[in-house]
Amino acid sequence: MTLAEKTLTTRLDELRGDAPTSRHNARTIAALTANPGCARRALLDAAAVDKTVIAQELGFPPKFGQSPFAITRGNSFEAMVKSHGCAELLRLLREELGLTIPEVGYHDLETVGDNATNSVRYQRTKQLLGQALSSGQGTMFDHPMLRLEIAGATAYLEPDVVALQIGGLFHVVEIKSFAIVDGQADPAQVASAARQSAVYVLAMRELLRELGQPPELVAHNSILVCARDFTNRPTAALVDLRKQLAVIGRQLSRLTSIDTLLDLVPPGATFTPGAGLSDTVAAIPSRYAPDCMSSCELAFACRSEARTHGSVDTLGRGVCDDLGGIDNLDTVLALADGTLDPGPEHADIAEMLRRARALRLEVAR
Amino acid sequence: MPTAEALEQRITELRAQVRRAAGSGDRTAARRLRAELRAAETEWDTAVLGAPEQPAPVRQLAAAVPVREHVHRALTLLSVPAAPKLILAVHDAFFSGELVPARLTSLRRDEERSFRAAPYARPYYLCAAMTTDLLAPARGLLAVSTWPLAQRMVGPLSPRVDLLTGAIRLARHMTDHGCTPAGQRVLWQLGVSIPGATDGKSIDPDVVLAAAERELEVHRDDDTQQRADAAERAVRQLADPAAQLFGVRLAVADRRRNEA
Ligand code: SF4
Repeated sequence: MTLAEKTLTTRLDELRGDAPTSRHNARTIAALTANPGCARRALLDAAAVDKTVIAQELGFPPKFGQSPFAITRGNSFEAMVKSHGCAELLRLLREELGLTIPEVGYHDLETVGDNATNSVRYQRTKQLLGQALSSGQGTMFDHPMLRLEIAGATAYLEPDVVALQIGGLFHVVEIKSFAIVDGQADPAQVASAARQSAVYVLAMRELLRELGQPPELVAHNSILVCARDFTNRPTAALVDLRKQLAVIGRQLSRLTSIDTLLDLVPPGATFTPGAGLSDTVAAIPSRYAPDCMSSCELAFACRSEARTHGSVDTLGRGVCDDLGGIDNLDTVLALADGTLDPGPEHADIAEMLRRARALRLEVAR
Repeated sequence: MPTAEALEQRITELRAQVRRAAGSGDRTAARRLRAELRAAETEWDTAVLGAPEQPAPVRQLAAAVPVREHVHRALTLLSVPAAPKLILAVHDAFFSGELVPARLTSLRRDEERSFRAAPYARPYYLCAAMTTDLLAPARGLLAVSTWPLAQRMVGPLSPRVDLLTGAIRLARHMTDHGCTPAGQRVLWQLGVSIPGATDGKSIDPDVVLAAAERELEVHRDDDTQQRADAAERAVRQLADPAAQLFGVRLAVADRRRNEA
């Protein structure tokens, strides 16, 4: 660890204070790219703070998340697909993707000799995948541990399965309990699974790079295993991730460097729940957008803040773009009803707003 | 009474015939041949080991049978390391008495404690299957201490080999002792991933058997070799008898540093 990294880690540890931690997973990373410009979120995530707790502390408990029922169902479906050395998965891979009979090698990476620490599992994953590449042997890797740098901090990630050697390529396998009915699945659920898989593919490629191997050995297609029709029987489909890979890869590389963001935090401030918390949070700039509602635990808190400040952010990005950089609702309204004279830079927007207002008044009459 | 050698030859022939019959789909013949095979095997047992002892009365009060006994029976029938879920399913399908899932979770720990307190005091222990590479306990798999070490090893090919072996064992048991619906369900669970073992609608032990043996041919040699090597290494490297039964654990060193 270099000195710079060390101080970064220490600073993030200090910033976290006594706040409860949460681990990154592919879903949070995929969501992270949904609002890459938000410093508040980037810092909370980099310091691995549990945002749910922060939101509760601020008085805006998040109202989304998976139901315990769905989680149980998902887990038992995954356990079923993976029981007896991934027997069901083997069947699917054979039937639908032409995996050959001899390819059955199975490695369980959920623990390494009863040791379940991230770094040990990561080292072991790297070692086994390296061996698999050089020997050509090893088909399924159950719960490998991967790593991805998120805005200068390391996040550990755990795909459901990585299957090796279908046509000599590693494939990420994602097991989801939602149903594919008559070959069709809910597009929103498929899309979110695809985003998660893309995060794993990026992390896998990172690992191959570390091993000095060509990253293209990780396929850009993932294998999505779902329930068939309304039964509990699994079925598999290939999902093309090229688009997701491009988007997430680009946004991850763009994520603002944490170093500079840390300077925004008032000296000595921490995310420790308690009296000072709301000041600390308020001091870090946010960038609320309606998308936050589906991707960030702090959404209700940030929306309320944006509303009190009369920020146009609450109206969504499309509207913000149309308003050409005017960020305050009062300004917008005043320009529209003519109580404020526009400067030269706002002349055409003011004109547009006035026309819109006139139309509206006409319709309302 | 025929000699053991003659019986062995007869057994080999019968095995080939069974496989042929099952492979060609002649289930009636396969069943008849299998019965003959069983008879020959029993005769061989008698010829080599002497007359079987009078079996103890089987009907016992269910409550009188301890958990470990139940698990031991199911594992013995399967003859391969198995996860609690499969053990339960096999127990429910083929044996009587109640086995509570919750009792299985602490079983291995209890057995280890008992072994460490008084080594070899019991005729058998329910112990861990061990990974061939690290000689560590394989997650969630139970085994029996009296099995040869190689049988308790789990290499990359072993989950598949063990599934096929377990399916074969259950299928044999069912052709000999009849099929219950519960037994069919367990066999189905194991059979669905074996090409040619089911037609998607029904399950026939003979067909499962033939299909599983076909696939087993592909993996058996490599797996046997890997397990044998690992077993040998375990004998060489693990001086502690408890480690040979329950595996070596990697110490969790300085957790904080590991997570960083
Ligand atoms: S909800 Fe708030 S913290 Fe979360 S991404 Fe949106 S603006 Fe940032």
